[in-house]
Amino acid sequence: MQVWTKLFAKSPFKPLIKHSEVVLNTVETLEKALQRWYDGDYEEMRKIAVEVDRLEDVADRIKEEIRDSLSSKLMMAVAREDVLIYLHMQDKVADAAEDTAKWLLIREPGELPVEVKEVILQMGMESIKAAKLVHEAIVQMDRVIESGFADGEISKEYEIIRQIESVENKIDGLDTKLMQLVFENAEKLSWGDGFYILNIARTLSNISDKAKDAAERIRLMMNK
Amino acid sequence: MAVEVWLLITVVLGFAMAWAIGANDAANSMSTAVGAKAITPKQAVIIAGVLEFTGAYFFGKSVTETIRKGILDPTMITDPNVLIYGSVAALLAATLWLIIATKFGLPVSTTHSIIGGIAGYGIVYAGTAIVNWGKMTQVVLSWILSPIVGAIMAYFIFKALTKSIFERRDPVRSARIWSPFWIGLAFVVIGTMFYIKVLHGKDLKTGVFMYGVPLGIVVFFVTYVLIKLRFPSSDPFIGVEAIFRKVQVITSGYVALAHGANDVANAIGPVAAVYAVATMGLSGMQVPVPKWILALGGLGIAVGVATYGYRVMETVGKKITELTNTRGFTIDFSAATVVLVASWMGLPISTTHTVVGAVIGVGLARGVKAINKNIVRDIIISWFITVPVAGLISAAIFKFLMIVG
Repeated sequence: MQVWTKLFAKSPFKPLIKHSEVVLNTVETLEKALQRWYDGDYEEMRKIAVEVDRLEDVADRIKEEIRDSLSSKLMMAVAREDVLIYLHMQDKVADAAEDTAKWLLIREPGELPVEVKEVILQMGMESIKAAKLVHEAIVQMDRVIESGFADGEISKEYEIIRQIESVENKIDGLDTKLMQLVFENAEKLSWGDGFYILNIARTLSNISDKAKDAAERIRLMMNK
Repeated sequence: MAVEVWLLITVVLGFAMAWAIGANDAANSMSTAVGAKAITPKQAVIIAGVLEFTGAYFFGKSVTETIRKGILDPTMITDPNVLIYGSVAALLAATLWLIIATKFGLPVSTTHSIIGGIAGYGIVYAGTAIVNWGKMTQVVLSWILSPIVGAIMAYFIFKALTKSIFERRDPVRSARIWSPFWIGLAFVVIGTMFYIKVLHGKDLKTGVFMYGVPLGIVVFFVTYVLIKLRFPSSDPFIGVEAIFRKVQVITSGYVALAHGANDVANAIGPVAAVYAVATMGLSGMQVPVPKWILALGGLGIAVGVATYGYRVMETVGKKITELTNTRGFTIDFSAATVVLVASWMGLPISTTHTVVGAVIGVGLARGVKAINKNIVRDIIISWFITVPVAGLISAAIFKFLMIVG
């Protein structure tokens, strides 16, 4: 008879935000690691990069839990598919951060041209900014629902999504710049150095790519 | 057995049924407020106990009359024993079915059970012709319509509430004006119902314009001044929720009152029927329901809330985390209005199902984040099986009593 206790299903949004917090934590830790890398403090960097790996595991576990609890038997304010794909994308952000951490751990960079290191650091910062904005976006999405899809809250959400897209654009530019730099400095760099640099760049821009995909899903959640 | 003994038996059975209603259903009436953390379970128990009793005692009469003599054609019952055995069978069947259904986790309605029980014994006794099908159709229609009406109403109230407050350019300013409006509107309905139910007014227009609207306006100004003096926060979301948290205590009480008025009949309708026979014989069909029987039902419900409802509310308080105060207000306001209007028309509708309808309405307005579709399906199934199953059980008990008695 206690219809009440059963009628309300657990909303996926609080767990989504919890997952997002871990993802945010992962990218922020990567940010620290990248800063150490740039400063040349490799020992400290290693410790932090290992932490990135651990946090990514935590995010994975939360992701599994959310997936298991999101049955098709729910009537939700947003489409279930959108939530699941969004979760996948949000998790990919942490995956990409872990990939970068792996590349950082794989070897010490030796003597890289300082302008190369600068562009990489810049790419990292921008990419991580996109990931941080994703966290803001999902928190705002909760508020959109809280308000009963009020126009004002929806436009705030669109503004965050727009920012994520513009950050992602900027990174595409930095990516091209880095590729040019690698080839301009071809004589100073070994084949391994080039491979190393370009892979770090690829994984870093992946973070913002996935952040953009996640933002796209949030946009879809709002126009059911 | 003497008629007095049977009366005593029905009194005990009726009280037990009222207890069950109080233990389960009545707790649901305060659930939105407990779930939205507007009151503690303990406070809810006290408020619900008092208001359920008040609703049952003062407003429960018209629905009780429907249960007592509206479902079956009284002129076709010539043997007073039939009415006695039938009432006992209906009460027992409803209680049994409630226990079985609870065991299987089916959310069934006490209202549906008792009506199924009454129809069941009637059909066994005199065939389908004894059932007042016009009334029965009306009753069944109201079961289907009330959740739908509840849902539609909750949908639009929630939409309008968010549009008028959260979507404005200056939400805090519009919250200051619109919160008193919505609260006032709730009191228009409360005032109107006071006129119809307590003062037994007949003219809806008089009720609305002489009682509802003036009360609503007074409440509007009082709330307006209170909010103007001290708006709880500069954030409209937090501020509005804080205001509605206080109001929700009242609207939840309003649901408890409506529930008492409507559902007390399920327990005491059959008792009243036996009482009439015991005191007046078959001519007792004309006797109105005495006050003490209403009090008995009200007391049973209140005791049920106090002894068992507490546990229900505690679980609810822990489980419903998805309910904000504005949503709780919307659900309460819509459900109570539908239930009160129905009980004014003498229609025994299911409170639980109306509330469920209202929850779905808010869900459709994209206000509730997630609703369990399985439960909704179970409720719909229970609509279709409760009446026939309770009817069959009642028929069997009735046959047995007729042979033994």
